[in-house]
Amino acid sequence: MLLIDDLTVRYRTPGGEIEALSSISLQVEKGSTVALVGESGSGKSTVALAAMGLLPQEASIPSGRILFDGQDIMMMNVEERRRLRGSRIGLIFQDPFSVLNPSLRIGDQVGEGLVHHRGFSTERAFARAIELLDEVGIVRPESVAKAYPHELSGGMRQRALIAGALASEPDLLILDEPTTALDVTIEAQILDLLEGLRRQRGMTMVFISHNLGVVRRISDEVAVLYAGQIIEQGRTEDVLQRPIHPYAKGLLAAIPRIGQKQGRLAAIPGRLPDLRNPPTGCRFARRCPFATPDSDKPQILRKLGDRQVRCTNAEALREAPWPRPGESEQFAEVVRSPHAGPVVAVEHLTKTFGRHAGFAFKWRRLATSTEIKPVNDISIEVAAGEVLGLVGESGSGKTTLGLSILRLVEPDSGTIRIAGEMVSGKAQRALESMRRSAQIVFQNPDSSLNPRKTIGELLARPIERFRLAPSGEIPARVRQLLDLVRLPAHYADRYAHQMSGGEKQRVGIARALATEPRFIVCDEPVSALDVSVQAAIVNLLADLRDRLGVAYLFISHDISVVAHIADRVAVMHHGKMVEIGRADEVMNAPKHPYTMKLLSAVPRIDGPAPRSVGERHGQVA
Amino acid sequence: MPASTPRSGSVAMSVDQITEAPVIEAAPRRPMSLQLKVGLVITGSIVLLGLLAPWIAPHPWDTISMRTRFVPPNATYWFGTDEYGRDVLSRLLMGTRLSLAMGVSATLVSLAVGIPMGLAAGYFRGWVDEVLMRLADVFMAIPPIMLGLLVLAVTPPALWKTALAVGFVYIPPIARLARSVTLTLANEEFIQAAKARAETNSYILFREILPNAWPPLIVEASLRVTYAILLGSALSFLGLGAQPPSSDWGLMISEARAFIDRAPWIALAPGFAMCLLVIGINLLGDGARERLDPRLKSRVTER
Amino acid sequence: MTGYIARRLLFVVLVLVAVSMLVFSITALLPANVAHLILGPFAPPEQVRALELKLGLTDPIWLQYVRWAGGFLSGNLGESTLMNRPIGPLLMEAIGRSMMLTGASFVLIAVIGIGLGIIAALRHGGPLDHGISVGTYLGIAVPEFFWAIIVIIVVAAWLGWLPASGYEPLSAGFTVWAKHLIAPTMTLVFGHLAHVSRLTRSSMIEVLQSPYVTAARAKGLPERVVVMHHALRNALLPTITVLALDFGRLMGGIVVVETIFAYPGLGRLIVFSIQNRDLPTLQAAILVVAAIYALANLLADLLYARFNPKIRFGRNVG
Repeated sequence: MLLIDDLTVRYRTPGGEIEALSSISLQVEKGSTVALVGESGSGKSTVALAAMGLLPQEASIPSGRILFDGQDIMMMNVEERRRLRGSRIGLIFQDPFSVLNPSLRIGDQVGEGLVHHRGFSTERAFARAIELLDEVGIVRPESVAKAYPHELSGGMRQRALIAGALASEPDLLILDEPTTALDVTIEAQILDLLEGLRRQRGMTMVFISHNLGVVRRISDEVAVLYAGQIIEQGRTEDVLQRPIHPYAKGLLAAIPRIGQKQGRLAAIPGRLPDLRNPPTGCRFARRCPFATPDSDKPQILRKLGDRQVRCTNAEALREAPWPRPGESEQFAEVVRSPHAGPVVAVEHLTKTFGRHAGFAFKWRRLATSTEIKPVNDISIEVAAGEVLGLVGESGSGKTTLGLSILRLVEPDSGTIRIAGEMVSGKAQRALESMRRSAQIVFQNPDSSLNPRKTIGELLARPIERFRLAPSGEIPARVRQLLDLVRLPAHYADRYAHQMSGGEKQRVGIARALATEPRFIVCDEPVSALDVSVQAAIVNLLADLRDRLGVAYLFISHDISVVAHIADRVAVMHHGKMVEIGRADEVMNAPKHPYTMKLLSAVPRIDGPAPRSVGERHGQVA
Repeated sequence: MPASTPRSGSVAMSVDQITEAPVIEAAPRRPMSLQLKVGLVITGSIVLLGLLAPWIAPHPWDTISMRTRFVPPNATYWFGTDEYGRDVLSRLLMGTRLSLAMGVSATLVSLAVGIPMGLAAGYFRGWVDEVLMRLADVFMAIPPIMLGLLVLAVTPPALWKTALAVGFVYIPPIARLARSVTLTLANEEFIQAAKARAETNSYILFREILPNAWPPLIVEASLRVTYAILLGSALSFLGLGAQPPSSDWGLMISEARAFIDRAPWIALAPGFAMCLLVIGINLLGDGARERLDPRLKSRVTER
Repeated sequence: MTGYIARRLLFVVLVLVAVSMLVFSITALLPANVAHLILGPFAPPEQVRALELKLGLTDPIWLQYVRWAGGFLSGNLGESTLMNRPIGPLLMEAIGRSMMLTGASFVLIAVIGIGLGIIAALRHGGPLDHGISVGTYLGIAVPEFFWAIIVIIVVAAWLGWLPASGYEPLSAGFTVWAKHLIAPTMTLVFGHLAHVSRLTRSSMIEVLQSPYVTAARAKGLPERVVVMHHALRNALLPTITVLALDFGRLMGGIVVVETIFAYPGLGRLIVFSIQNRDLPTLQAAILVVAAIYALANLLADLLYARFNPKIRFGRNVG
């Protein structure tokens, strides 16, 4: 159905030309689903755009063919390619929030392909759109068809987009991270929908994702991309359970698994090679624990049974496991804080949004919003040196709770005690000692560091602010902090933009540690990071807890990560805490129906094979 | 205005993701765009000519000579002479200083008042924001030139008063820009981090926010200089700015109006000089804007 | 939606009240002695004093303001100190003439400016785009009074096609009337075209690069449909606001243009009343301009809301 042969794509950027894809070859059989998997920078999304003939102007294609049903897409003229798109090939994008036109009704957007490809009248297309919306599981499709995108939730929008892609009954569907922007429970629904469609319509799909759990549920074949090359491909279950290429091994080892508590996660050191000038040999060699002198030679995809692997040592590595860090290798004994009692105690905390407080001049306000309670009567305690995990989907109020505890958002009612000090009810000015003992690590490494200051200045400031060291000793303290988060001392002279996402997050952690806090709110600290980097940061946080006895409120939407690091887990839903308990108990024997729903929605990379993968054998060449 | 700005989607991201890694290794300096280079050359040479005017002007700019009235451009008088026999080129060069001084000083006035206003409104929000911005709305309800006329109607005209009035007129737009920049920055996590270590408001405003607000403000300021030059010259043209025998460009054009059919060069020379200066600064500002932050390219500028 | 209109209308009224206070207090600072202006510089002091009492100029300023504003609301705008005519009719005539000028210019600016902007955006990076960009750079750089001079030199002095200045009423014949309107209109159009076309261009380019336009292309829609149906609708939304802003700038532009072309409209009236210290006329004229400007902005806000589903349905906004 789709055959990509020796495809190379380059992008012109201000910094030089980047090779986004290097000689990619891929074959998708009719009726099969092939997944492309990789972290950021692997080039996986470029494949989708190239196959649709939608590459941006900066892109050039020095070599390769893309055959759809035997016809070369790149040899077609613009008009022929346009007719192919949307009628025989459908594309579904990652972010359902920006790919729907804000000023057109949903029904028009779903049906418009029919008007232009099938010659439907507008009315007939709209009527068909309603049927399609019904088919993708939207309740009350008539009213949704008449709605505008901003009135719909993310899951509904993604369903509408799928309906739009299905409208002209394409033979091939390309899905670029279709569930990444969605909550897990919504993601599970969308995956169910896609599986159903595939069964009923015998649809061929190319599924692009960074999430191996999702891929495992949906695809027959998987191709793992690294730095613009396919490094391993084969049947999904084989590759995921018994990876051969070192990168695939590392990637899988870095993923935390629910119900299988390990001491530390495996992490992949280093970073992507410079794609302006990629190494001629193995592109992974510099990060590879199995690298040999042979790795410097150009690597080709080699066949190993029904698998293909881009590694000269593939046979030898077949059974070798990715090296795992030892169980708390450095600190056998966990240092617990000598203080008795909880370091944080919160009682009946409530925060309401949507009230019109303050000045009465609200001319510009268009609609009075209704009251919502993102934090509704929450009581929690965190013991010294304990990690309390807080999970919930977007809008559950978990971040608001974290910020309210630190008085970065003013709660409406309830009491907060931090390190024995009553924090609620005090004026902001009087919170100095609390600000020292309680700190925060943020989600977004690009936003959390002031871009105009060096890392040294950033880390020195808290020490100056609380006069924790005489000014002569500050540089030494900064070096200690950098060492604590395993960054070299010369990073003190760098600016944030000169570092990678993981490194920036380490600086964020070091800054929080600078005041020698006893409690840190970690607000989605690894959500913006790739899996391999995420593992290293999670390990670091765990080590620091053991070494310094600091307690965390670890907020995340990713249950697997929370399950891995937390001692206890609290689950939030619509501002309420529905369950709290020991991590293993909550994960293995959840009591609240919402927790059960949440846990069953998580796509896993281990455990019994998901239901749909089975008899069909697509072939990947 | 609540223009809907779409969030960066998957398509735009695919390129960004790829560029991320190499940029970290060594942030490459982009070569200067043609726009920026041309802008620098034009603006630079005009500023230089203005600074050196008293020394390079070929003739005295204010000596009246009835024998040399209305001489068309020739080898002695490159740009001809005016109705009092004064050399147009020399007057033009001296006028350059006045235009530049007008543009720069008026803009400094707007910045000095507008930036603190915008910072306060954007950071404190609430009633401070409401009061300051509604005040700005009131001033912006009158077209700039009329507000300038209104302010200047009160006193006998003088160039420095015109500069002050022009600066005053352009405070609200600067305040609005400073406010919107502050609003964006105030949502950044590093501001939350500063609050989490109990920093004072003035530390956050001046040490965390302002250093990041400078680049867009400086670019805007450079473009504001052209608005100030144009408005200032229009006011001079209407007789509410520089007074004769000053060689302010607006005044020169105003005085030359009566002789357009006989001696068009008197009006054309300062007119074209002004265009060149404004184009030069615009190129410079736009070039700098794209270099500093490509995302700002399409921002609406209000005059 | 109704609530929204009501709130915006209330806002316009409040702004105008504030503007009237501003205008009044600034002109109250004027050193010119009104009584002297009326009676002449050599009037005996007793006579001046008597007139000041009669006019209420010795009252506290707030009382003067209340009296003035009250007169304004009841339609009594006072009398022009210079022309000894009631200001109301004087102003109405001037507004009518200025509206012809600005109305014609505005329509041309909107049509040509948006058209050029769209063409430039569709040919983004091509020679036509570059040509339009250079043209608009010139348009922004040239001050109105210089455009006026160029227009006069070329069209009136050089080609001799049109009268260089003045105004003839429609009753004097359509051609004569139109001929006097062309040169000032051309000046205003040249001076303001660039702003609209540049903004339309950048907004269109931004929309054309947006994910939903890529998505529309991925659906295989013809390029014509992508541009007309998907892009234009969203790209023109900010242009509405910009056009209102430009209407305000046109109201400013007439000050210079009417002065140069000796066109007896609102702008010339303002300059005239400043030069002759005719306070009541100046106050009334500026207030009228502010009102027109505020109403243009209100209209733009309403149009914006009308075409923006996010506002029209009043949900998810905040």
